[in-house]
Amino acid sequence: VYSTLRRYLRPRLSAPLVGGELTVVQPKFSALSGVDFPNIRPVFAVKLGDPVRVGQLLFTDRKHPEIAWVAPMAGVIESIEYGSGRILSSIVIRAIEGAENPLTDVPRIEKDDDLRKVLQARGMWPAFLNRPYGRIPLPDATPEAIFVIATETEPYAPDPDVVLRDRRVEFEKGIRALALLTNGIVHVCLPEKYALEASDHPRIRINRLSGPHPAGLAGTHIRRLHPVNSGGSVWSIGYQDLIAIGHLLMTGQYLPDRVISFAGPRTASARLVRTVVGARIRDIASDERKPNASEVPFTAISGSILSGRISDWLGYRHRQVSTINNAPRLQKRRKLKYFHGQNSTFPLVPTTGLERAMPFFLPVVPLMRALSVGDAETAERLGCLDLVEEDMALLSSMCTSGADYGYLLRCVLDDLADAA
Amino acid sequence: MRFSQLNGYRTGPPFISFGLTSLQITLIQIVALAPPVIVTIASSGTTALQIAAVAVVVTLFWELLFAILRRKSLTWHGLTTAMIMIVMVPTVVPLWQLAMAVSLGVVLTELIFGGRGFGFLNAAVTSLAFLVFSFPGSALSGAAIPIAMSSLPGALLLLLFGLISLRVVLAAVTAIAVFSIANPEAFDPIITLSAAAFGLIFLVCDPISSASTNPGRIAYGLFVGLLTAFFDSHTGPAISPVAVVFAALLGSIFAPLIDHVVVLFHAVWRRRRNG
Repeated sequence: VYSTLRRYLRPRLSAPLVGGELTVVQPKFSALSGVDFPNIRPVFAVKLGDPVRVGQLLFTDRKHPEIAWVAPMAGVIESIEYGSGRILSSIVIRAIEGAENPLTDVPRIEKDDDLRKVLQARGMWPAFLNRPYGRIPLPDATPEAIFVIATETEPYAPDPDVVLRDRRVEFEKGIRALALLTNGIVHVCLPEKYALEASDHPRIRINRLSGPHPAGLAGTHIRRLHPVNSGGSVWSIGYQDLIAIGHLLMTGQYLPDRVISFAGPRTASARLVRTVVGARIRDIASDERKPNASEVPFTAISGSILSGRISDWLGYRHRQVSTINNAPRLQKRRKLKYFHGQNSTFPLVPTTGLERAMPFFLPVVPLMRALSVGDAETAERLGCLDLVEEDMALLSSMCTSGADYGYLLRCVLDDLADAA
Repeated sequence: MRFSQLNGYRTGPPFISFGLTSLQITLIQIVALAPPVIVTIASSGTTALQIAAVAVVVTLFWELLFAILRRKSLTWHGLTTAMIMIVMVPTVVPLWQLAMAVSLGVVLTELIFGGRGFGFLNAAVTSLAFLVFSFPGSALSGAAIPIAMSSLPGALLLLLFGLISLRVVLAAVTAIAVFSIANPEAFDPIITLSAAAFGLIFLVCDPISSASTNPGRIAYGLFVGLLTAFFDSHTGPAISPVAVVFAALLGSIFAPLIDHVVVLFHAVWRRRRNG
């Protein structure tokens, strides 16, 4: 009783970061899914059954043909699917043995513009996330600031220190390169222990922010250090994507490796896994079950237990695979049950705990109400342009309504982006 | 739709929850209301039991009817409304008047909006207001010191779970205290506050009908506290429960406006801070 009480009184996430030994998982399939790149209409450069090599061009954006997506794995194109309105649904690659990593020239960066072109042509541009709107930045856009996020506070996230230790050179190279993309400041948000050498650069600034979740999210850093002004834009990029940029600039190779954690309430032993972008989750989570655990089946989701999603594929920006109890099945309203709450919509009760889910001053309940009814104007006035889906995840978990405020925010942001 | 889904499964968050569910909130409120209800029944005996029976049957009847019509499950929220009625309705009120007032209050402020949490008023507040409005001469009870004492543990419980805001409580208490100190011939601070305690905790601080932003909660508390003092009919040293009910009613009508003003100020503050 006491632990249940405490869970409700002090809703705090105490799941340690996952460190330790790396296991390497070479997945049998890997995919780029459209969920990660909303509003992208692809023009494919490959057909079904084509063999591809790592870093080979897969498709470009129809509106901006400069931006390329490349293959994360050597193999054969297994399937190509469109969503509604010819947007990308998914492109799946099946691994084949003995395919080689293509060696490409080390890109030469002479002007600032060269770097931009290299990143766009070699598949690293989609790693950036632009705020406002939480989309991939336009090819010719210049941000007011760039945030490198190497802080992890989500439950069961991989320890960034372990990853950065092996990739120090690439990371530094990547940070110095980012300074070419903006006239503003490159904010590097680092874990406590890590020391950076590039800190002598006048436009590179190091921030260390510790504390419970959501202290490590990009949205928290941005809100504190460089809020998105009207007309301005701020980019964020994850540390592993930045390592890939550094690797690309040093060797000319696309680095598809990502270190993720496989952990969660239903996992016996949390572990770090090195796999590739978009790996099939079934290959990572093969036969992992707590001994003596109840026979309730579990689901491995891409992303954290707060903000992840049920998917067959590791998300493009996700750094963890979490296990949860089986996904809630939506109930059809047929039979009445008077004692069970089976309603699909519950009210939003503005408890005082909701304010604590946001680490900065923001009228949380008005924002949640505006998102619930799709009131884009009010949401914008409240500052929803600073936010992306993951920033709302904690609120969704704390609210009585059971709504996914990240999903609702995405709908509102898309409306605002279309109107802009 | 309020979340992403595929083939009948939800595919997005929330996968875990550390908030309260709707049903749990009702349960906590019932537990918090239990001591004052027991005190009332113990002191007024069978007449209070009659009131209790009528209030519970009428609220649950309307809830059940709307649940069947809307094909939703019962929320049991009506029980908390009924419990507040037991404490605040005096034993002299005819039972048919009580039934009318509860029906109007529950249906018009909760059920036509889709249940508690979807409207903007507290059903108990409107029921009591209907009772006083429609049947002149009706007074309200619930101002006795034993009831005030017995509502304190419930207040603590609700505070712990975040179901009432300390900001509202403190602001309202401050407003009433300042007013009664300013008019020492009309009010005595201790008696005034203990008379208003039950209404403050369970009517004014209701999370759904009060303001929902932190600065707004303070403004709302001050507003309701002042209204309570103004509405009092100056008959004795204590505040009459009718004053608290009408202050809560007017306060909750103004709460969305207060929140709206907070949102506007927040936008100005943001613009100034961000340049």
